Amino acid sequence: MAEALAGAAAGKVAPGRLDVSRSQAVRRFKWVILLPLMLMLLSLLTPVLLLQLYFSFHQWTVYLSSWWQADFVGFDIFQSVFTDPRFGWAVLRSLAFAGGSTIGCFVLGFLLAYLIYRPFRGQALYYALFIVPMLTAPIVIAYTGQMLLDRNGPLNDILSWLSGHDIRVLWLSDPDIALLTVTLLDIWNWTPFSFIIMLAGLSSLPKEPVEAAQILGASAWRIFLEVQLPLLRPVILLALVLRFLDAMGSFPIIWGLLQGGPGTATETLGIYIYITTWQDFNVSLGAAQSYITMVMMVGIVLLAIRLLRREKRSLDTMYTKPRDAEETA
Amino acid sequence: MTKTRRRRLAAAGRYAFLTLWAVIVIFPLYWIVSTSFKPSDQWFSWPPVYFPSPPTLDNYRDVWIGATSVAEGGQTALSLQTPFLALRNSLILAFGATAAAVLYGSVIAYGVSRYRLLSETRMFQLLMLRMVPPIVIVAPLSLYFSYLGLLDSMVGLGVMYFLTSLPYAVWMTKSFIDEVPREVEQAAEILGASRWRTVFEVVLPLIRSGLVATFMFILILNWSEYLLSLILSKTNVVTLPVELSKFEGSTEGRLFGRQAALSVGITFPLIIIGLFIRKHLARGFSFGMVRR
Repeated sequence: MAEALAGAAAGKVAPGRLDVSRSQAVRRFKWVILLPLMLMLLSLLTPVLLLQLYFSFHQWTVYLSSWWQADFVGFDIFQSVFTDPRFGWAVLRSLAFAGGSTIGCFVLGFLLAYLIYRPFRGQALYYALFIVPMLTAPIVIAYTGQMLLDRNGPLNDILSWLSGHDIRVLWLSDPDIALLTVTLLDIWNWTPFSFIIMLAGLSSLPKEPVEAAQILGASAWRIFLEVQLPLLRPVILLALVLRFLDAMGSFPIIWGLLQGGPGTATETLGIYIYITTWQDFNVSLGAAQSYITMVMMVGIVLLAIRLLRREKRSLDTMYTKPRDAEETA
Repeated sequence: MTKTRRRRLAAAGRYAFLTLWAVIVIFPLYWIVSTSFKPSDQWFSWPPVYFPSPPTLDNYRDVWIGATSVAEGGQTALSLQTPFLALRNSLILAFGATAAAVLYGSVIAYGVSRYRLLSETRMFQLLMLRMVPPIVIVAPLSLYFSYLGLLDSMVGLGVMYFLTSLPYAVWMTKSFIDEVPREVEQAAEILGASRWRTVFEVVLPLIRSGLVATFMFILILNWSEYLLSLILSKTNVVTLPVELSKFEGSTEGRLFGRQAALSVGITFPLIIIGLFIRKHLARGFSFGMVRR
């Protein structure tokens, strides 16, 4: 298939020279390009994944001597992960954090994009301002959050001033609020991401369907719901899926701000794995936790890929340009 | 009458909402800047100090040159701080890994765009390198690296940055290469240029503004990376984000002012870069889903 395509492209250049040596050259070209990547993946990721598997089945902590002499314990470590309620809570917290951040970023980002996508005075300035949080390093956001959200910080001061009462919310040390706090910070950080994607989607919408609906006398609300929203489906999916995947692996904001605390109130999967491995030095347990997390994440990513691919396929068939059609024909 | 009034009200509402969000966006950045100029007694005061008075450059001096006279009884932790080393490492790592990833990524992207080097499925699978969180492999990775002698080395961290940047590099440059008309390459081919020359001397120069945008987009990600740097480095290859966390948790309390001073140095170059390429940001993660 690939050779046929390359051949077809070449056929246009020099008709009749579509021969074996050419397709060989193309194949060699492809191999030369891919070889470094394959070597890197093979020499780096394979041993790492094997090590991970080894530690998941052999009990070892840094207090024991050499890791290759560790005892084989079968599925014991996996069993202890599965029966560990703290791990279960970490999974739930990760899902809550990622879900909350995904929805928050999407709603805000979409709203901002919708308000800004038609040209108006000040549009460029607002756009430039709105993308700034995404350009800020997450660890900087964590430490800035610490200053802003302190009990005596400016946020409480501003809230007190606005409400007229003395408000002292313990954003960081109240275990009931802490997870919400880090989720809100994450939303602050990543709303630009959803905003940029939705803005690109909105401004690339074809104008004809909207105009047609306007002529038919549809209200702005109905045009949004029944014309624009369905057309935006692929972009919406993209914004949701990518944000969710990224938030599931989020580490610096929570770690820099609260290290999973107070107590275990903000201990998401990444934080728990980190604590197990680098604070308790229980490498095997950390490996098993990582393994389960990885399998889960790979599963979610594969599902996401299938979703995105299906959307891209339908887009590809919708938007096949005449030029492309000519060339593949 | 009512219609124009309603429209005016809607416009006012829109401006109000957008401005509110703009304030929410800007305030934390303002707070970093203002804290970085505050003397230490204004870091935690209640009510909070919004305008440092008098503004001081002490924090910048203490961060970059070293604390000469710090409040109550000298601070030993400061000797651990190596901002210039961290700055140098961050510069080399972010620029080096990003340049390598964009160069290699654009060659892969060319292969994909013109020769279907990777099927669509493989292209999406490539994203796994980015989408599966690194925390799930860093423990065995650091062990493996320590055997290879790559732990706490520029090469080790650089290789990881390179690998995690590659998916975005490929996807983003492909979106630019797809827009180059094939006739250009065919002309080069007729003139007898080899495939490699066609790539490096015809196609890539044509998309150079796209390459710059890709480079800067990935630079932002690598510059702010935290977890890999935290785990794969010890003392030699500390990067700026990890350096920043050294102001945390030490016995003498939180050093907000110095943290803020360093944060300004980490953040503002990125914001400038990002504003520079703002028009291209959508490409970084639209993965072929937004059609122009």
